[in-house]
Amino acid sequence: MFDLIGNLSLGFATALSPVNLLLAFVGCLVGTLIGVLPGIGPIATIAMLLPLTFKVDPTSALIMLAGIYYGAQYGGSTTAILVNIPGEATSVVTTLDGHAMARKGQAGIALGIAAIGSFFAGTVATLVIAAIGAPLTKLALLFGPAEYFGLMVLGLGLAIVLARGSVLKAVVMVVFGLLLSTVGQDLETGQERLTLGFDDLADGIDFAVLAMGVFGIAEILRNLESPETRNVVRGHIGRLLPSLADLRRSFGPIVRATGLGSMLGILPGNGAVLAPFASYTLEKKLAKDPSRFGKGAIEGVAGPEAANNAGAQTAFIPLLTLGIPPNAVMALMVGAMTIHGVIPGPLVMTKNPSLFWGMITSMWIGNLMLLIINLPLIGLWVRLLKVPYRLLYVMILLFCCIGIYSINNNPSDVYFMAFFGLVGYVLIKLGLEAAPMLLGFVLGRLMEEKLRQALALSEGSFMTFVERPVSAALLLLALAIMVIAVLPTVRKGREEAFQE
Amino acid sequence: MAPNETTSARSPAMWMRQDFVAGLVVIAVAVFAFWQAADLPIGTLGGMGPGMLPKSLAVLFGLLGALLVLDAFVETSVPLEPWSIRGPVLVALAIVAFGLTVRPLGLVVAGPVAIVIAAFASDEVRWVETAAVGVLMTVVCIGLFKFALGLPIPLAPWLIGY
Repeated sequence: MFDLIGNLSLGFATALSPVNLLLAFVGCLVGTLIGVLPGIGPIATIAMLLPLTFKVDPTSALIMLAGIYYGAQYGGSTTAILVNIPGEATSVVTTLDGHAMARKGQAGIALGIAAIGSFFAGTVATLVIAAIGAPLTKLALLFGPAEYFGLMVLGLGLAIVLARGSVLKAVVMVVFGLLLSTVGQDLETGQERLTLGFDDLADGIDFAVLAMGVFGIAEILRNLESPETRNVVRGHIGRLLPSLADLRRSFGPIVRATGLGSMLGILPGNGAVLAPFASYTLEKKLAKDPSRFGKGAIEGVAGPEAANNAGAQTAFIPLLTLGIPPNAVMALMVGAMTIHGVIPGPLVMTKNPSLFWGMITSMWIGNLMLLIINLPLIGLWVRLLKVPYRLLYVMILLFCCIGIYSINNNPSDVYFMAFFGLVGYVLIKLGLEAAPMLLGFVLGRLMEEKLRQALALSEGSFMTFVERPVSAALLLLALAIMVIAVLPTVRKGREEAFQE
Repeated sequence: MAPNETTSARSPAMWMRQDFVAGLVVIAVAVFAFWQAADLPIGTLGGMGPGMLPKSLAVLFGLLGALLVLDAFVETSVPLEPWSIRGPVLVALAIVAFGLTVRPLGLVVAGPVAIVIAAFASDEVRWVETAAVGVLMTVVCIGLFKFALGLPIPLAPWLIGY
């Protein structure tokens, strides 16, 4: 307990320095600005803004990046409520009741409760990270290659179950991601693999380039096809602060959602995606009058938004303690950390405590800032959302180009982004979802490394994965969820859940 | 692609089924990857060579593609959507043009060039507006990325030397 307080105060000392406060502020602001743009989710936002953090020291860079992340999240909710366009999977649920509230002239209250719910969830999630971060790190030090491998298999299994559409297609995409991750020099021999003779691929495909292509560029191509049907809420945003009655009604949902989100966020394999859906379903079940949902029930905004934010934050736990990025956003964080010479994993906390705790406390500060800066700025976001798409996409495109070029100052990254943009377009047309592919890609290299280590230790016997109890349990769990996912009854329920 | 398929939505012709085409594409990529990895030694399980994972993943990927194709025969699949050419080609072209010009000519040229080419990807393109946005956005980006953030992106090396 004293440890916790000591650690948190070290964190606050770091995060509250004027420079770091300013960077957190700028991060939140720019993150929201880009995140508000329709069709730009947190992944594309962070990939685009990554170069902004290159000039500062590692701790400040990560603090700024975390700010960008929360800003992007909140920007996505703003777009979901005001325009009914979800920036990413997790804000789909918010569009249901959030946009309905906006149409009733309560856009301000919807945005207000989203910010308040997120702030509460962020506060609790910060404490959760601080409390279980340290013990989990110790657990991580006991993990051998076989256990790491098992955990990552479980993560991929979860990603498959959580993907929309057919299970088979999700498996296809995970394997595609794994295959893409083998591009580049071999870990041990340094021999070039699948590089097609491109020198620029010797270090493998750059994750930011891949993510920007399949999420940023392909999204532009998708949007260009459908004629614009954006109906930004006209007229009054209304008052921002919810009434006491609103708050009383939202309190329960926010608390329950925070719990749900915090737990699901820790799971490897992007469990956070599930959190808003779970919260929405739960609140609808608990409600006295479920028919209000979908027509502007404030609980349907407060719950999912809190769940979303809690999950978004506890997703840092697997990254910071085990070094395993549980989703694409965290993989970008790995990229940013590596650029600054920090290798994410159990050692960060002991080797670089001010970075670790500074980042964690800055999460809370970032949430507070969002609450303060965004409420007055909502008018500005509304105006931005009224800019026609034919002007927006050329700007987004230029930002993408400059952002990707600046990561390595290498024009070939820009070409590869165009290529992966086209790949992403083909995937959309073939009904293949990019999210599981990205996770496969993210975990691929680490999985290969751990698999090779584990099998080298066991002299080529796969029994090592079964004989070690922890890895056996993890693999069994992965197998179980996969089997459950293809059972006909669950399959049907899953389709219904995603339809809502 | 040719939308000569009439709206018999229940069972589109095989080559128009999304899953069928997706499966074929997956198989093609798998074959290509395996061919590219052909020369890499696979080693043994205890001491894996560089080719072990690329090859086994390519095989797995191909098998999954075959499953997708089979699935298209068994279950009625969604028909393939029509593809557009203009958007993807012009957007890709705009990005490539940015990449080609940014080093030798700097952001001053690369910015407007990319924006003007990209603007033609939409069929709502307007000349004056596009030119104005191109210039304005380039100025904003120079101010933001070059001066405010100090990124080492070339401005106009042929004119001012950086």
